[in-house]
Amino acid sequence: MKILAKLYATLRKYAPPDNELGEFFEVEFNGATISDLIEQLGFTQEQARIVFVNDSQTSDLLSTLSNGDRVVMFPPVGGG
Amino acid sequence: MSKILRINMSDLGHKWETLPKKYETLAGRAFTSAVIHDEVDPTCHPLREKNKFVIAPGLLAGTMAPSSGRLSVGGKSPLTGGIKEANAGGLTATRLGYLDLRGVIIEGAPPAETKDWYSIYFGKDKCEVKKTNDYAGMGLYELIGKIWKDYPNKPGIIGCGIAGQRLHKGAGVFGNNVENTDPGRYAGRGGLGAVLGSKRIIAIISDASDGSRPEAKDKDRFEKGRKAFKDALENHALTGRLNNEKGEPYGALKNYGTNVLQNILNEAGALPTRGFRTGRFEDAAKISGEAVHDLIDKTRKKFGNKAEGKYGHACHPGCVIACSNVVPYEKTGKAQVSPLEYETAWAFGTNLGIGVLHDVAEMNRICNDLGLDTIDAGNAIAMFMESGLIDFGDGPAAIELLKKGYNSESAEGALVCSGALTAGETLGVSRIPVVKGQALPAYDPRAIRGIGVTYATTTMGADHTAGYTIAAEIVGIKGTVTDPKAIDKAGLSRTFQATTAYIDSTGYCLFIAFCILDDDSGFGGMLDTVNGFLGKDIDVGEYGMAVLKNERAFNKGAGFTAKDGRLPEFFHTEPLPPHNVVFEVSDEEIDAVYKDM
Repeated sequence: MKILAKLYATLRKYAPPDNELGEFFEVEFNGATISDLIEQLGFTQEQARIVFVNDSQTSDLLSTLSNGDRVVMFPPVGGG
Repeated sequence: MSKILRINMSDLGHKWETLPKKYETLAGRAFTSAVIHDEVDPTCHPLREKNKFVIAPGLLAGTMAPSSGRLSVGGKSPLTGGIKEANAGGLTATRLGYLDLRGVIIEGAPPAETKDWYSIYFGKDKCEVKKTNDYAGMGLYELIGKIWKDYPNKPGIIGCGIAGQRLHKGAGVFGNNVENTDPGRYAGRGGLGAVLGSKRIIAIISDASDGSRPEAKDKDRFEKGRKAFKDALENHALTGRLNNEKGEPYGALKNYGTNVLQNILNEAGALPTRGFRTGRFEDAAKISGEAVHDLIDKTRKKFGNKAEGKYGHACHPGCVIACSNVVPYEKTGKAQVSPLEYETAWAFGTNLGIGVLHDVAEMNRICNDLGLDTIDAGNAIAMFMESGLIDFGDGPAAIELLKKGYNSESAEGALVCSGALTAGETLGVSRIPVVKGQALPAYDPRAIRGIGVTYATTTMGADHTAGYTIAAEIVGIKGTVTDPKAIDKAGLSRTFQATTAYIDSTGYCLFIAFCILDDDSGFGGMLDTVNGFLGKDIDVGEYGMAVLKNERAFNKGAGFTAKDGRLPEFFHTEPLPPHNVVFEVSDEEIDAVYKDM
């Protein structure tokens, strides 16, 4: 299935080189869950501290993804 | 033995006082708020002689504890009418630490007919109140350069700019940065720059060249704690080192600064856009911390060692988090402004619908030069846009409006320097995002309700730093927040407010919270530095609550009641896209935060 992914901050290096900051890129996804997607993209669950699926924040990395889902991931970030 | 320097602007005299026993453990915000509570009539006019301006370094300022050089300034706020503590980095806290000064209290005011301007210069066993009419009306970039020529010992400088000299309520207290290239270390909020202006003071210059590093009472405990805490900060993915062992970006704050939040708040649908109308900004990425990082890399590549852009820049000596930056001009690689922080990028970017990084940084630079708080100035410009006088998204028009602040004959210039409430009411706007007269920062309380409770209940007026619940609600610090909606917002806000009051007193930067909440060894190390320095144990929660108690008592005396702890009506009635939520915390829940105080 196809998943749309967006990565920010220190995770950007795992996005394709031509991916514009703030834009989704398409992933031909072979797995089922968010943690599978993280593995496929090449980083660890610890690095994916903040995850949104279709605009909603989630901490359940074992939830399954569906074709066309939009997944946005951040490492630990903060400030203010 | 720590001292207090008391300066009386009515007779231009000063005296050195021994620190009273009751203030023995108080520093930073705990000190400023105790002095304001004990010595200032809460009903006084904030811009007349009965108000006081208090400067206090955090407890550990000047020591080798990492990221511990923050400065607090306090007084009765002309913006909120209540107590105010604002804090910043820069050099002054470290200088005061080296001089063993727990605080400087400035009271009185020259006679009303005075046309003269003064500056205060002090060092070890010396203090002078000098007439400095040549400093008046000067842009602050020029002023700090002149002062370092006049005083070659690289002093700390704080003070007020043109906005404060004209007693405008949006005036902040500037501070010079470590390199003295930018006056951008702001204790910005609450109009305290105008309190200095009302006392006819432009600059407070601290020279620690004959001072010495403060020593801990229990040196072993302090040193053990310092090492553990430094390791924890450097290893945390948020506060940690610039690169990992593979040379890839690691610490988020060092690489992207506080403006790393721009994209996450946008994705969360909680980024207040175009005057708090929506929670998403289509150009957020263009003005984000990642965009600044890329611009710096690009100009470094192009201009080599002539490039002045920086990330991983420390806001005070000894800061290991180093979330500050220097934003370069794209065309020349020269410094445009330092720092560009999240709240400012939001205030002049997202909040005004402006997605051009250069324009946003330019407005930051103008504020630094004029002596203005960027959050209230950005919200004041938003009021001009709400009223239709200029269009949302028009960067050049916003810059032109802000520049009118230099012109003493411009009513628009005076308005833009007077904060969102004064500007909004004058221009007939009904959607004015303020609490206790102070403009909201960069988190929409409809989408993130805990921060809304902090805005409503803190003694400071709308202030995200007073109880940064974002850490739990969005950022997920302290682990397992499975459903942010289920958090007890009132309890969360109160706990964060008390802990914050403690951190604001230690000299530590508030951002240590991200690390110590996650890492027990870091938390233990931090406690060992504070308790080792004092030679006695103090309780974080009790200490913080005692600070809040003083502040709340002052505000009650000033006439504040529960009705002042409310968000503006439109947050309850206008749903915020994309999640279409309103602020649903009840008045009862808000009042429960401090029901026993």
